[in-house]
Amino acid sequence: MPNTKGINKVNSYNLNLTVNNKAVLVAIEPHLTLLEFLRDRLRLTGTKEGCSTGHCGACSVLVDGEPISSCLMLAAEADGRNILTVEGLVKNGELHPIQAAFVSEGGLQCGFCTSGMMLAAYALLEKTPRPTEAEIREGLAGNLCRCTGYHKIVEAVQQAAKVVSHG
Amino acid sequence: MADKKNVGQPFPRVDALEKIRGLAIFAADIKLPGMLVGKFLPSPHAHAEIIAIDTSKAEALPGVWAVITAGDIPAEAIYNPSSRFHAFLARRFTVFVGQAIAAVAADDLATAEAAIELVQVSYRQIPVVNSFEDALRADAEAVIHGQSTETTRGSAHAQVIFTAEEPAGSEDRDGPSPNVVDENVFSYGDLESAFAESDIIVEYNYTVPTVHQGYIEPHAVTAHWDRPDHVIVWECVQGAFDARNLIAETLGMAHGKITLNSTEIGGGFGGKGEGIFAPLAVLLAKKAGRPVQLVLTRQEELLGANPAPRSLIWLKAGARQDGSLTALEAEILVDAGAFPTGWIMSNITATLRDNYRFQAWHLRGREVLTNKASVTSYRAPGSPNLSFAIESHIDELARRLRIDPLTFRQLNVIREGDLLTNKELQSPIGAEEVLAVLAEQPEWKKAAGERWATDGLLHGRGLALGSWAGGTGPAGALAILDAGGQIRMVIGTVDLSGSFTSLAQIAADAIGIGIDQVVINKANTDFAPFAPMSAGSQTIYAMGAAVKEAALDLRARMVRYVAHDFKVAENELGVDERGVYLIAQPDKRHAFETLYQLGSQWFAEYGPLIGQGSAAQRQRAPGYAACIAEVTVNPRTGKSTVDQLMIAQDVGKAINPLAIEGQMQGGVTQSISMALWEELLYDEQGQVRNPSLLDYRMPTAVDVPMIKTIIVEVPGGDGPYGAKLVGEPPMVPAVAAVANAITAAIGVRINDLPITPERIWRALQSAGKEDTTR
Repeated sequence: MPNTKGINKVNSYNLNLTVNNKAVLVAIEPHLTLLEFLRDRLRLTGTKEGCSTGHCGACSVLVDGEPISSCLMLAAEADGRNILTVEGLVKNGELHPIQAAFVSEGGLQCGFCTSGMMLAAYALLEKTPRPTEAEIREGLAGNLCRCTGYHKIVEAVQQAAKVVSHG
Repeated sequence: MADKKNVGQPFPRVDALEKIRGLAIFAADIKLPGMLVGKFLPSPHAHAEIIAIDTSKAEALPGVWAVITAGDIPAEAIYNPSSRFHAFLARRFTVFVGQAIAAVAADDLATAEAAIELVQVSYRQIPVVNSFEDALRADAEAVIHGQSTETTRGSAHAQVIFTAEEPAGSEDRDGPSPNVVDENVFSYGDLESAFAESDIIVEYNYTVPTVHQGYIEPHAVTAHWDRPDHVIVWECVQGAFDARNLIAETLGMAHGKITLNSTEIGGGFGGKGEGIFAPLAVLLAKKAGRPVQLVLTRQEELLGANPAPRSLIWLKAGARQDGSLTALEAEILVDAGAFPTGWIMSNITATLRDNYRFQAWHLRGREVLTNKASVTSYRAPGSPNLSFAIESHIDELARRLRIDPLTFRQLNVIREGDLLTNKELQSPIGAEEVLAVLAEQPEWKKAAGERWATDGLLHGRGLALGSWAGGTGPAGALAILDAGGQIRMVIGTVDLSGSFTSLAQIAADAIGIGIDQVVINKANTDFAPFAPMSAGSQTIYAMGAAVKEAALDLRARMVRYVAHDFKVAENELGVDERGVYLIAQPDKRHAFETLYQLGSQWFAEYGPLIGQGSAAQRQRAPGYAACIAEVTVNPRTGKSTVDQLMIAQDVGKAINPLAIEGQMQGGVTQSISMALWEELLYDEQGQVRNPSLLDYRMPTAVDVPMIKTIIVEVPGGDGPYGAKLVGEPPMVPAVAAVANAITAAIGVRINDLPITPERIWRALQSAGKEDTTR
């Protein structure tokens, strides 16, 4: 049964979705955004809030494989769907090749855009396993980074693409 | 001394694993039991007197725990009407749109927002001081309401000031307008005759708009009163001690009653120095009796959170036919917003001339106030503004003299021992070296592209030199030998730019061990020795010196113990990854773990091993960088694209090349963006017209090219292992390199930033050079 404690039952929504391969069944207030739900209810704070208007990409998560700004989606809209956040990238204790490449190539500095950036890269490589530099830049164009100038992020995605396509 | 095994190696960031797994704790990730949401009411007016505030309806709203106004500021608080820190909550007057008028703490964000709407304020509007013309008028409204318009610096304000102690020929500080708050004048030589000797003289105005630092993480702060007279604060700031001092000063608290934890920081670039919003959270938490978290929205950031200043720089410069520079005259106006900065105009005025040799100069800078958000530092504060002006001007002189712009710079560039504007002598710098390196690049050697290529597009190449004198504060550090032989470096500094990785490399080499044997422990203000703000590119230079000293001290103490234990002389011992050993007999040794045990067990003969680093202010070690940009311009649309960007930078000694390249590429990108896209637009009433990331345009991955970096190492300064400043110099030259490339492409100089498609198109139209391929 969903945990409805503390919630006005008339004004609640039974949300049933998958987050990082784990089924989640929980009653929420229907006005919660997916970002608020992930950060405040599930305490998955790896997803960041940079603008709350869908322009910076720091809150990007994958919904059924598509990168979206979780600040612009209601959690209720994610009902029945499959969510991947940065916390779901590690499999069996192993870093995903995108994570490993961001570390080795210097693709992160402050780290605030990094979660969203890596998920955008993940979605890109799913569709385009061997992207050109232009395709990488296009694929990351919804995610602002202020530290790196994107150079080493592009190199990290190139490196990850090599590993993923050989794997 | 052990060989350098770690310094010079491209180690990945020591904090990378937390960050790429989403586990690093940023300021807005803090969650405490019973924590409330804080929110403030931003002023809707740029200039108004607050007649009355009625908070009763907001207080009555269920779920609201506290509402504060200026009346809640303790009487002990220090208040100076010209301090931006002290204006964290408007008192009788509000002086910019977005200034906090009142604040609430409530159960959740929706309740807090509802409560803010219930706060009723009546204002008497006052004419808005908006433009430079307004600000300079003798009969203008004063922006500061109080007795003094002197530039002030509180104890929370630990920025390095570049002005000479006694500026030559300093004029009357009281300008004709109440809003001229600071004035610097520097004169040298006989200006008139130097101009008379000139074969050409060029005169232009250069404007740079207000821009924002653009860190992706908004300001966030959490305050928790754990005892009636003691507060714990978690905050994303560049200077933990500065932030603590700011709270003490603005709320009249003893420093010891504040524990400040600097969290991970999602970019700062100068904009999160002292954390100007903490006093709101601290006051709210006190009144509510519960922890309060305040996180800014992006709109609040762009409205009121301390952008970088607008400037107007008029330059007149002369040169001889042989390419030697003669005279430079400058009038500099800096719009500081509602409060004086105390250093940005001074930096511009005192360093504008310093990249080149002139016979004579007269430089006058004035800082003025307007009813806009108070400005602060942004990566090399003021230097991109001055660099855009002087490097455009130098380029124009070279163009008119028909001398190669690189050769022209090499002829006139400043050298070690030359007189600086502030009367000091130039220290060893890499200005000539970075230019020489660029001169050797194939990208520069090849002929500049044809302006009119067959594709109907215009191509151009531009060059610029830039420098940053930087900060050099004192710093302290501790080195502790811990269980398992781990070396803990305890510091109070904030890792803004990957500095903890470089600090670990420095400590490891000082002792003679591997980087994985060192851990950098960031301590809060209760436990750390003093650390300067992570600003002015000084962290490796200043804190690195303290870390090295602490590590060497610990090493010396370990060697002393072992020498005593082995009954040998200290110089018979060495240190490696496995411990302290007898050089003549390397398997006779104490492992670090053994040394730890000897200093911590019952009946220990020695105390625990602790090294101390206490580094005084360093000499200055200015960082120089030079850039080449290649652009394409579409004459039909005015759209410009940066195709190639190359930067050479003197870093003294590269501690971590991977981190340095990242700094160079990031700084260059912000600089390109300043040249082409960014501008906070204010209307005549002081309202920001573009307070969102849709309308305030920062570059995405598709907007910028790969950035080629060339690290140059010229010895100088007294930084650890010869390191100089790194983080800020790359921000300086690219703006002018791009502008010069556009001039080369379109044949017209645009002296107002950003160089938008509209400005390019209009310049082409008025020059009668519209697209002839149409």
